[in-house]
Amino acid sequence: MKIPIVQPTVYRGLSQFSRHPRGCSRWINRNGRENGTVPFVSSGGSILRHQAVNRHVLQRVFLALVASFLSTALLSTALTGYGAELAQLEEEAFRAAAARVAPAVVRIETLGGLERVGRVLAGTGPTTGLVVGEDGYIVSSAFNFFHRPASILVRLTDGTRKPAQLVATDHSRMIVLLKIEVDEPLAVPEFAPREELRVGQWALALGRVFDGDAPNVAVGIVSAGNRVWGKAVQTDAAVSPNNYGGPLVDIAGRVIGVVAPLSPQGDDEVAGHEWYDSGIGFAVHGDQILRALPRLKAGEDLHPGLLGVNLRGANPAISDAVVANCHPNSPAQKGGLKSGDRIVEINGRPVGRVAELKEELAQFYAGETVRLVVARDDERFERALELVAKLPPYEHPFLGILPMRDPLPDGGVAVRYVYPEGPAARAGIQRGDVLAGREGQAIKDASELRDELAQYEPNGDVGLSAVRDGKTLDVTVKLGRLPEDLPPDELPPAHAGTQPAQGPGAGSSISVKVPEFPNDAWAYLPRTDRPELPRGLVVWLHDAEGLEWDALLAQWKQECDRGQWILLAPKAVDPRRWDRIELSLVRKLIDQMSNEYVIDPARIVLAGRDAGGAMALLVASQNRDVVRGIGLIDAPLPGRIAPNEPLQRLAFFIARSEKSRHAAAMATGVQQLREAKYPVTMKSLGDDSRPLTAEERAEFSRWVDALDRM
Amino acid sequence: MKEPYFLALFLLLATVACPLLGADALPDVIEEAQTRIVKIYGAGGFRGLQAYQSGMLISPDGHVLTVFSYVLDTDYVTAVTHDGRRFDAKFLGADPRLEIALLKIDATDLPHFKLSEAVEASAGTRVVALSNLFGVAVGNEAASAQRGTIAAQTSLQARRGQFETAYRGPVYVLDATTNNPGAAGGALLTVRGQLLGILGKELRNAQNHTWLNYALPIAEIEASVAQIEAGAFTPALDKVDATKPELAYSLELLGIRLVPDVLDRTPPFVESVREGSPAARAGIRPDDLVLLLNDQLIQSCAALREELEYIDIDGEVQLTLLRGDDVPELSEVVLKAAPEDSVNLP
Repeated sequence: MKIPIVQPTVYRGLSQFSRHPRGCSRWINRNGRENGTVPFVSSGGSILRHQAVNRHVLQRVFLALVASFLSTALLSTALTGYGAELAQLEEEAFRAAAARVAPAVVRIETLGGLERVGRVLAGTGPTTGLVVGEDGYIVSSAFNFFHRPASILVRLTDGTRKPAQLVATDHSRMIVLLKIEVDEPLAVPEFAPREELRVGQWALALGRVFDGDAPNVAVGIVSAGNRVWGKAVQTDAAVSPNNYGGPLVDIAGRVIGVVAPLSPQGDDEVAGHEWYDSGIGFAVHGDQILRALPRLKAGEDLHPGLLGVNLRGANPAISDAVVANCHPNSPAQKGGLKSGDRIVEINGRPVGRVAELKEELAQFYAGETVRLVVARDDERFERALELVAKLPPYEHPFLGILPMRDPLPDGGVAVRYVYPEGPAARAGIQRGDVLAGREGQAIKDASELRDELAQYEPNGDVGLSAVRDGKTLDVTVKLGRLPEDLPPDELPPAHAGTQPAQGPGAGSSISVKVPEFPNDAWAYLPRTDRPELPRGLVVWLHDAEGLEWDALLAQWKQECDRGQWILLAPKAVDPRRWDRIELSLVRKLIDQMSNEYVIDPARIVLAGRDAGGAMALLVASQNRDVVRGIGLIDAPLPGRIAPNEPLQRLAFFIARSEKSRHAAAMATGVQQLREAKYPVTMKSLGDDSRPLTAEERAEFSRWVDALDRM
Repeated sequence: MKEPYFLALFLLLATVACPLLGADALPDVIEEAQTRIVKIYGAGGFRGLQAYQSGMLISPDGHVLTVFSYVLDTDYVTAVTHDGRRFDAKFLGADPRLEIALLKIDATDLPHFKLSEAVEASAGTRVVALSNLFGVAVGNEAASAQRGTIAAQTSLQARRGQFETAYRGPVYVLDATTNNPGAAGGALLTVRGQLLGILGKELRNAQNHTWLNYALPIAEIEASVAQIEAGAFTPALDKVDATKPELAYSLELLGIRLVPDVLDRTPPFVESVREGSPAARAGIRPDDLVLLLNDQLIQSCAALREELEYIDIDGEVQLTLLRGDDVPELSEVVLKAAPEDSVNLP
């Protein structure tokens, strides 16, 4: 059964002329300026002259008279702005549009389920669904089911309740498909063709959560046509749990999309819901839902399709789609893509920037095949790749060396330390060798070699040429896994001929300030005679007991000097707790320090105890591009662990006491981190929580020193 | 020669229509209505409680309609009119059931709303809300105007505990965030300037944890206002929530044992049915899931227990059950306690 069309031409017309906030009429537009948005006041005088060009003179005089009267009349109308008739017509159009789709907007009730999921309190209230099949298929937003209800009921518009089965979930668009048994066909709405979508057109978001016969309606406009990687249309109609799962319709009552909380960054059911009623809302494109329906009806859960590449450049909007790295065993790697390849076309659509590639890819699900055109040097080739739902957790390979930190004039990496019995040691590489080439290509520096190695797997073979005493040796190294234990020995110096200077003036405590934040912060610059050499950076985030800089520094000063790392400690505005806004303070402090001093990007660490550790994890999760190590002392670990990234290495140093209130959570957290293939260096503090001893501080410092291992 | 006639006709129409349109222009509507809104200052100002709210003038002699709240809980309530004049406001009376109050300021010839001229509207009607939200207007600054649409007409009475308010009755739900601190007592108008309702106090919808933006229709409060005006009518707050009967139903009486209540919201699955009990007579079986009790959705074991306490033992218990895993079906049963059932309690 299709819902009959209610005078669609009338409303489509209305949608065009009522789009302008102040009164202007279609009748006038057709005769007036071409853009159709000129208010009466500026076009009243000229319209009729244009009309009367080929008429008799008398007629022109008459027309001129008419025009002057008319313009006066129109002027006053325009000044009064909101025409009552227009307002009334609009309201009638809103009601007609809502009434047309209303039979397909159903209420969903759930039983059982969780009280809260993470930080989000689950509601018990009714939510909304949209009928998409007269045989009982209904779509809704995955948000409405994130509390995992035991049972789902659909209340049809005639008041009857039907038990519903959750058939399948689209994890890319966060849409679920429900099925109920029906006695007679359900009303199915008409979908608006995508190509008719215009920014600025009326958009009504409908839900069915309040008592009463009619759905609840929120009125707004289409704010943008393509959002969240092309999956959604954006609207300023009030969007909230009151209409998640309901349709966003045009002024003719045709479905534009299904309202759902979405976020370009987050990917879980509740991502984006914090924006409710804030002028920004999303509806998943109707045509994409229709396209996914057959697979969803077959009971197939749909997942975002992954290619398994990391792309170069930090800003997706301006960076070209150039492969930085292929995940081992990913579709991209199996298709032979390599670092440096430029993806120029996907399924016949040209791609320039990273954002365009992401948007095109977001149209596809795991299991679907995309045709990529790839440019490498001067050649172009095509690959058909089947996208996957999940990449195996990425694990970094390990060569088994620490690099010297002085840059070499001719490039290459000088070996500072060889891990005993490590992969390099087994292949015969010695301390002092210079690694000059990999697979026949020159090695520029340690940072480049580390990134290049990221595309190997542990157990993979890499061919290296090492220079020793002027002679080149070619060796094949069978790579291993990043070690979790600290290097057993005292490490040799990282710079040729340097020992921390003993002179006065070196080693100073400074105060650091980020202009837009009121927070105090301090830093200690270790003693050195070569400030041009990169140093590590450890950001200490204090716990609920606050920060005593002098006491903190007294503990760590010796290690800062010996390990050549800067200690930086900001203080929360409320010293008892960190505020979310201070997340960006920490990032700005790191950026500021990196600008003013030579900081080694491979050794930037966040550390903290208890609440400070929780803050460190939060900051790190949002700043994966800069943070390379996390040091935690008796701190809670998150339940959800982000996947390991080839080019964004992250290592953990975790000190844990058996009777800490976080002990159990830490144990499972560590296990999850290891399953996600992060290297975790563990330190037991015994039964009771306590500060680190001098020896443990030295171990932490050695862990920081070895973060640039490869 | 056809065109000029057509144009002349249009001219005529336009000239005639013009004054009609002009009277209803939104800026004019707002400008006029703003003069009828007052800013009210009273008790509060600590622990996140604002010491201000909004009110509307409803007579030329200074009758001010507002919401009944802690702000009025002092002998010194001040009302400031749009032109910046400050008045001591006298408390005439309140209706705690509707959570409205009537104040009186000492002035004459005031611009005002006529409650008798208020209109009703349906979902989809464009509206303007006028209030001193966030206390942003001070002195001779006029109330803030917000635009929106009526999202729904609904009733706040449906479920126990859904909304924390004494008011149980019809409301207009709006699609704009109109109900902010200080907005309560403001006016809801159509874009043509007709009075629709009074903005209510801030309310959170306990069912989905969103703030409710709403207004009470004037029709719901008009009679009460008239009574207060006539003689300081202050009805006692009668307990509108259903009171629990002395002898109520219970799961034990019905002979139903539910699965162990271990989760936050354990779904009310039947674990076992006592032989010879009302439940057994009605054919309830183990593994049945209780969905509805007297047509009200039951979301957990705890909710079923609680709701049964409201049903008098002389009444009936109508349960809607979900049966079967593969092909779930709904079945309705009616349970009735016989005198011997309470005797047979284990």
